[in-house]
Amino acid sequence: MLRHLFKLIWNKKKAHSLLMVEIWASFMVLFGVLSLIVYNVRNYVEPIGFDYEDRWILNLSNNQDTLAVGDKVASIYQRLNQYAEVEEVTRTGSNTPFSMNTMNNSVSYKDAKVLTNFYPVDENYAQTMNLPVTAGRWFNKADAVSKHEAIVINDAAREKLFGAENPIGKLVKRDDKLYWRVVGIVDNFKAKGEFMSDEPGLFTFIKDKNAWEKEFILKVKPGTDANFEAKLVKDIAGMVKDWNVEVTYMTDSRKNQHSLTLVPVVIFLVICSFLLVNVALGLFGILNLNIAKRRDEIGLRRAMGATEKAVTRQFLGEIWVLATISMLLGLLFAVQFPLLNVFDIEGGIYLVAMALAMGVVYLIVTLCAWYPSQQASRIHPAVALHEE
Amino acid sequence: MIKLQNIEKVYRTSSIETLALNNVNIHIRKGEFVSIMGPSGCGKSTLLNIMGLLDEPSKGTVEIGGKTVDQYHDKALARLRNEKLGFIFQSFHLINDLSVLDNVEIPLLYRSTSARERRELAQQALEKVGLSNRMKHFPKELSGGQKQRVAIARAIVGKPEIILADEPTGNLDSAMGNEILSILQNLNKEGATIVMVTHDESMAKRTHRLIRLFDGTQVTDSILSTNLATGV
Repeated sequence: MLRHLFKLIWNKKKAHSLLMVEIWASFMVLFGVLSLIVYNVRNYVEPIGFDYEDRWILNLSNNQDTLAVGDKVASIYQRLNQYAEVEEVTRTGSNTPFSMNTMNNSVSYKDAKVLTNFYPVDENYAQTMNLPVTAGRWFNKADAVSKHEAIVINDAAREKLFGAENPIGKLVKRDDKLYWRVVGIVDNFKAKGEFMSDEPGLFTFIKDKNAWEKEFILKVKPGTDANFEAKLVKDIAGMVKDWNVEVTYMTDSRKNQHSLTLVPVVIFLVICSFLLVNVALGLFGILNLNIAKRRDEIGLRRAMGATEKAVTRQFLGEIWVLATISMLLGLLFAVQFPLLNVFDIEGGIYLVAMALAMGVVYLIVTLCAWYPSQQASRIHPAVALHEE
Repeated sequence: MIKLQNIEKVYRTSSIETLALNNVNIHIRKGEFVSIMGPSGCGKSTLLNIMGLLDEPSKGTVEIGGKTVDQYHDKALARLRNEKLGFIFQSFHLINDLSVLDNVEIPLLYRSTSARERRELAQQALEKVGLSNRMKHFPKELSGGQKQRVAIARAIVGKPEIILADEPTGNLDSAMGNEILSILQNLNKEGATIVMVTHDESMAKRTHRLIRLFDGTQVTDSILSTNLATGV
């Protein structure tokens, strides 16, 4: 029967061409949107690697003040440690978790060269963020005077730079001149939030008198409210006149990052749904018309021994064959994405998106063909055969 | 072979009730070639549809091959149509998007027959009607007579015991019509029981038995020849 259906479709390929283009286009759009969704979902289920609840970011901007900035920042650091509401404090660069700032550069080890995110941090960062060290150690004060600057890498960087080799104690190069020594490894670190892929990242150590890194992350006691925030801002602003002092909650930054990721996905999804609804309505209309045109064929098949179910199966089978041919054409395009490593996304994501897109297309064509096929099976053969 | 008892068929709409067949009793024996005649609208095609299990009578019983089919459901009726009955229609009802060979294979699609066996049986059926040279052609490339021969091949490919022909020569000129009737006569000689609805008196006279209908009532049932087919 399958062969018979293929023949029927093949012999009517011109009549079906528009339908095939519609299904092909739907498949391609779905493939694109589902690739995006699968990519984000897979990222989402990967642990973020650190805690963000009850973490505040204190952002300082020295504006025109260039006098003893490093000392002033160090004083602020000391002051922050004195608040009873603050459990932990750490100093960090401007690319705090969930911020819009990014710092990256290539680092290399032997023949491996990897674009890596840099996170300037201090010795308290791992504890403040509850970032577990899986091998080696986190920074300590002694790292400020070591011959080679100490770095801690995440597992994604370890895998790409070192593969199966143990990275602890090894030197990696930046700009082919500066050597860093790996002292520790952390597992995941997805600074842009759950939807970020676990990209290679490394932590560099901020020395005490550094004047550049002026962000602090505070782990506050649960329930600490805006009153403390106001007091904190007032206190710090009093210490550094003409500086901007701003507190943001990490949970709010996280929400902003999520919106940045989700809004385009939702927009694509809405456009895609609109397209699919149009395609579905078109398909439904075409199938209804097809069946109306083929009433005598239905009557004939019933006379030749087709049951009602066989007629339903035939019409469903035809649309499945049509969808399969269209999607095979679509797959020719879609497989280029993993083969050519487009967007540097893992091939498995594209394969899952292809499978899902095929599933959705089969579901849509089945839903569209179901009612017309049922109608076809209910056509009275005696009536259909004598309509001409 | 076919036994109709007290058949009545009423078509109802919301406003009109039409009596298409009224108390029809017919017994067609194995090997008979029966023609049914009557003016247009007298119920000939309705009668043939009831014999072919394509329509249900409003009253009465239908027996095919000794079995009453009144209680048969869709699946059993479809199986009976597929295995015991072959249909030939005035307007051929060929599927234009399929080749001649594929058209002839259709009844075998609804049986557990392999693709190879289907092909062989279809080829044999087409050879029987003299169309072995047109297997790859499409219906649009054939004349009316050739189309009807394809329809006959399709009707006999499953080796049914009964062939029901609804005005098989109605759309053909007399030469083609005679050719088709000759094929039907040969099939009958090989053992097929044939029931043919026709408007053509000369065609009807070449069958064994002529049943005339008028306004849904069976008015005559005449034996024209007792020389029945004895089977293959």
